[in-house]
Amino acid sequence: MAESRQLEAQLRETAEKLLREKNVSLFVGYEKASLPFRTTPLLLTKTEEAPRLVWNPFCNANLSVYLPRLFLAPADARAAKAAPAPPRVGVVLKGCDSRAVAVLLQEKQVRRENLVLVGIHCPGIVDRRKAEKALGEHQALGAGEDGGGNIRVVVEDGTESTLRREDVLADACLECRSPAPALHDILLGAPGEAARTGTARPGTARTRTAEFESRPLEARWAGFQEVIARCIRCNACRQACPLCYCKTCIFEQNRPRWIGPGTDPSDLALYHLIRAFHLAGRCTECGACERACPMGIDVRLLARKLSAEVEDLYGYRPGESVEATPVLSSFALDDPQDFVTEP
Amino acid sequence: MPSEWEPRILAFLCNWCSYAGADLAGVSRIQYPPNLRIIRVPCSGRINPFFLLRGLQNGADGVLVSGCHPGDCHYISGNLAARRKFALLKELMKYAGLEPERVQFTWVSASEGGRFAAIAEKVIGQIRKLGPNKKLVKSHG
Repeated sequence: MAESRQLEAQLRETAEKLLREKNVSLFVGYEKASLPFRTTPLLLTKTEEAPRLVWNPFCNANLSVYLPRLFLAPADARAAKAAPAPPRVGVVLKGCDSRAVAVLLQEKQVRRENLVLVGIHCPGIVDRRKAEKALGEHQALGAGEDGGGNIRVVVEDGTESTLRREDVLADACLECRSPAPALHDILLGAPGEAARTGTARPGTARTRTAEFESRPLEARWAGFQEVIARCIRCNACRQACPLCYCKTCIFEQNRPRWIGPGTDPSDLALYHLIRAFHLAGRCTECGACERACPMGIDVRLLARKLSAEVEDLYGYRPGESVEATPVLSSFALDDPQDFVTEP
Repeated sequence: MPSEWEPRILAFLCNWCSYAGADLAGVSRIQYPPNLRIIRVPCSGRINPFFLLRGLQNGADGVLVSGCHPGDCHYISGNLAARRKFALLKELMKYAGLEPERVQFTWVSASEGGRFAAIAEKVIGQIRKLGPNKKLVKSHG
C-alpha cells in the first residue's frame, strides 16, 4: 500500500533526524526479517542505519518491552556512581504499545523525559499463523502489502496470491478498541486506517469471553485445559510482554520455589492463572504474548476475562491515563462485594 | 470418594479481627467442624492470591480468607485493597472452570465468634458437598 510505504519513509526520516540532532542516542524500531510475515526488532544507534527501519503489516512485537531494562535502578550507591546516565530513547509504538508505555510510566519503570514516543496510527497487523494457514500447502517466499491494504504473497512456485487483510489480522487487532496511539510525541499516519483494514471491531473480545463463559463449569475447565495442554513453559509470552518486568520472576524464583518449572498439569494451570492475574488491570491487550507463543496457544484466554471484569467492576481501562492510580492499588469503600460469603 | 475423606480447608485469618473472632468462637465453646487449618496473617491485604492457588495445588480442598469488615481494617485500607484482588481472583477461577466455592472470602470482626462458627460451618459444608479437590492438586511422585 502506498500509505504504508509513505509511512515507512516518514519513519526513517524521523529516526534519522532524532539521531542526527542527538535528540536520542537509541532508536527502537522494526527491521526486515529473513522469513516472510515477520519483522525483527532493530536497535538503531547510527544515523546511516535508519534506512534499515521498516513499517509494514508484520510489525508485531510490542517494542516497549525494551524500555524498562534501560532504566533499571543501580544496585547500590557505588554502582550508581559508575553507572552511565540512562539513554534518551526513541521508540516506534502502535496504539496498544503506547498504552503499555503509559502503564510503564504509571508504574514508574521508565522516565518520560528520556523517551521520544513515535506513534503510528495502526492499521492492524498480520498474524503469521493465520497467513500460513490461509496459504494451505503453499510455502510463502515473500510477502508485502498491496495498494488496497491486502497482503500479497509469493509462494514457492513463483505464483502470487493475495490474502485479505481482514482474514489474517491478529486476534488482538480484531478485538482492538483504540488503534490510535494516545500517548506520543510524534504521530505518523492518519486516523481511519484501522477502519479501512477491518481492525477494531468493538465487542469482539466481549463476545469471545461471553461464549466461553456460557459453557458449563466442567466444560470451561476442559476448555482451559485444552488450551494450555500444548504449553511447553518456554516463557515466550512473558518475555514478549512489556509489563512482565520483575527482576526475579515468581516462576523462576528459588527458596521458596513457588511453582514447578515443568509441564505438570497443575503447574501449567497455575502458570497461566498467575500470569493472567499479574496482568489484571495492567494488560493493554496488544497480543504480543499470543504472537510470541511458539505453540500457537490462545494465551489471552484468561486475560480477556480479567480486562472485562476490571472495566465492569471498576470502570478502569489500563493505559488510558498516566496519572490514574493503578486499579489494584486503589479502592473505594463501596466497591462491589457480591462475591463475599455471608453465613 | 472414600468414606473417611474429610475436607481440608486452609483459613487465612487476619490478626486483628478474624483471628480474634475465631479465638472468641473457641473460648465461647461454640462448636463447628474441625476441618479448618488456620493461618494467621497480619492483614487480609497481605494475602497474595498465589497463596490460595498454591494451597489448592498442595492438597487443600478449599480456602477461606477472612479479614476485618470494610472500614474497620487495622491498617485502614488493607482489606479494601484485598477486596479488589479477591473479586478478580474469584471471577478468574470461575471462568477457568474451578468451583467458585473452593475459594471463599468473608469479613469477621473480633466480636463475631458466632458468625465465624456459622461461616466455617457453611464453607465446610459446601466444600464437603463438592468432594475432594482434583483439578488443581499436584500429584507428587
